[in-house]
Amino acid sequence: MIKFKDVNKWFGSLHVLQNINVHVKPGEVVVICGPSGSGKSTLIRCINRLEKFQDGELHVDGMPLHNYSINLTKLRAEIGFVFQQFHLYPHMTALENVTLAPIHVRKIKKKEAKEIGMEKLVRVGLGDKASSYPDQLSGGQQQRVAIARGLAMSPKILLFDEPTSALDPEMIGEVLDVMIKLVDEGMTMCVVTHEMGFARQVAHRVIFMDEGEIIETEKPDQFFDNPQTERAALFISKILTH
Amino acid sequence: MLEGFNFRIIWEYMPLFLEGLRNTFLISILSIFLALIVGVIACGGRLSRWKFLRGISIIYIESIRSTPLLVQIYFFYFGLPTLGIRIPEIQTGILALMLNSGAYIAEIVRAGITSVPNGQIEAGMSSGLNYFQRMRFIILPQAIGVTVPPLLGQAIVLVKDSALLSLISVMELTRCGQVLTSERFMPTEAFFTVAFLYLCIYFCLKYLADWSQKRLIFKETY
Amino acid sequence: MIAYYFQRLIEIFPFFLKGLWMTVIVSCLGLIFGTIFGFIMGVLRSQKIRLFNWPIGIFVSVIRGTPFVVQIFIVFFIFPEWGIQLNAISAAVLALTILGTAFICEIVAGGIKAVPKGQWEASASSGLSIVKQLRLVIIPQALRTILPPLVGQYVLLIKDSSVVSVIGVVELTRVGWLTVVRIPEGLMVFSLVGILYFVISYPLIRLSNGLEKKLSVGQISL
Repeated sequence: MIKFKDVNKWFGSLHVLQNINVHVKPGEVVVICGPSGSGKSTLIRCINRLEKFQDGELHVDGMPLHNYSINLTKLRAEIGFVFQQFHLYPHMTALENVTLAPIHVRKIKKKEAKEIGMEKLVRVGLGDKASSYPDQLSGGQQQRVAIARGLAMSPKILLFDEPTSALDPEMIGEVLDVMIKLVDEGMTMCVVTHEMGFARQVAHRVIFMDEGEIIETEKPDQFFDNPQTERAALFISKILTH
Repeated sequence: MLEGFNFRIIWEYMPLFLEGLRNTFLISILSIFLALIVGVIACGGRLSRWKFLRGISIIYIESIRSTPLLVQIYFFYFGLPTLGIRIPEIQTGILALMLNSGAYIAEIVRAGITSVPNGQIEAGMSSGLNYFQRMRFIILPQAIGVTVPPLLGQAIVLVKDSALLSLISVMELTRCGQVLTSERFMPTEAFFTVAFLYLCIYFCLKYLADWSQKRLIFKETY
Repeated sequence: MIAYYFQRLIEIFPFFLKGLWMTVIVSCLGLIFGTIFGFIMGVLRSQKIRLFNWPIGIFVSVIRGTPFVVQIFIVFFIFPEWGIQLNAISAAVLALTILGTAFICEIVAGGIKAVPKGQWEASASSGLSIVKQLRLVIIPQALRTILPPLVGQYVLLIKDSSVVSVIGVVELTRVGWLTVVRIPEGLMVFSLVGILYFVISYPLIRLSNGLEKKLSVGQISL
């Protein structure tokens, strides 16, 4: 589904992605973790081409992303993306946020799109908030709307960039519950997160990155109980005592 | 201070003041409308990828912003005839006001467009919206909200600026004060009336500007 | 013909420099006095003391709501009727001071209000008197918000000083006006006037923009 092959990326002289090789299969859930500045956000932003890279090959759903002439709209329509800061459109209601892309990218009729949008909102437990504006919602509710927005295009892949980092602790649970439900439904997901409980419970694989490199790729239990490298061990001890 | 303030003379000259007020209104409305068009075009040039267009827009905007409006008015008033162009003073005045406000509006519009957070644009891109769809559904609705209050502020400035057209003998509100002063020598009555009428316009526009500030600005909340 | 006029223009160029000098003097005096009174009024206005708030609020609205040219006429024609005799230059400086005071007052008050409440509470808790709280803690922080628009306001004052030409102060714009009678090349004469204004205004505009960029980073983050 997603296949990185020797991908390299530089920001000026900074080597932010170094020889990345990752293969994500359909239905797989991959958690990416690592210290801040390790390149994990950059990595998943490459998958829907919010970031370009200079070297290597990346295939997503059969489309070659290293080939710059691909149809970005078609690519992004197949991938949902959930941001750390939600980025809901503040001038639209929750339902309008969810239905914007289906109406204008998929060209679905308004009425039908509304039905789909409502169904997604119900799925994240916010059926009653359809007509609320983002500033009337709590952080956790906003992030759930953002997930519904990501789901609205019935994507093949969902990407999460630290979806709980901007949330107050008491709101993290509701967002993770929604994500766990999606995992149970068999969605292919790449999640950048420090929620180790989530990683242990549902991830099929954990990728640990540091300074632009992939240091370890392991099954979660193996990674947490028996890290192979010193850097990973140090990182885990810091996270757990946090 | 105001003993002997002659209300009779104001009443006598009321038709003149009303005509001046009407002309100030018409000049301002026409100028702000034209300036909006000029401003949007100049802003487009300013943000253009084409270096030549960008250069011209920057020269236009910066040279307007660093010279006084009065000099610009005289530039056209004394300058156009030397080019063989003879148009009535009022049109010269509107031309100057339009070009002057256009430069400020270009900057207001640019600030509005760049004020939409990058994350909003990325969110739009992630859902597969193309450039025009992102402009239309995400950037412009938010940018227009941000732009309306300073545009109303510019309208306030423009109404006041139009007073300078009195100096090229356009019959607007301030000119009425000058007429009353020279015909009857009653500057107190003349200019306090003029100032009062400007204040009425100012408070109306100010009220609108404050209201729009509260109602139209959307913010991303976390 | 144009070459001949150009020649004449160069001959009388010292006259333009004199005008520029007068513009600089009048606007500098105006902005110095305006800054002093504006700061005093701005600090008073930020304190929410009823006694000051009403009169200052009305003063600011009246000045902001009327055209500067009308204010000049009032100062020049009406003050003498109340027994305040002014020559043209002092009337010009007085009018610019009043204008500057009103606008700077709002900038200063806004800057002080933007300082977080906790800073007041913290400095009060350390036992500082209210004057020391302002001088040592609040105003140094407020300056970050105040400086860029303050410099921008100076540019506006310099440009507004062109309007004092209407009461016969021989500053730059007046020089252009007097010249164009003898050298009927309006475009040329007022381009020269415009360039001279540009030379003083543009660096200040850049300074204001630069300050804004420099001072907005490194803001206290919570």
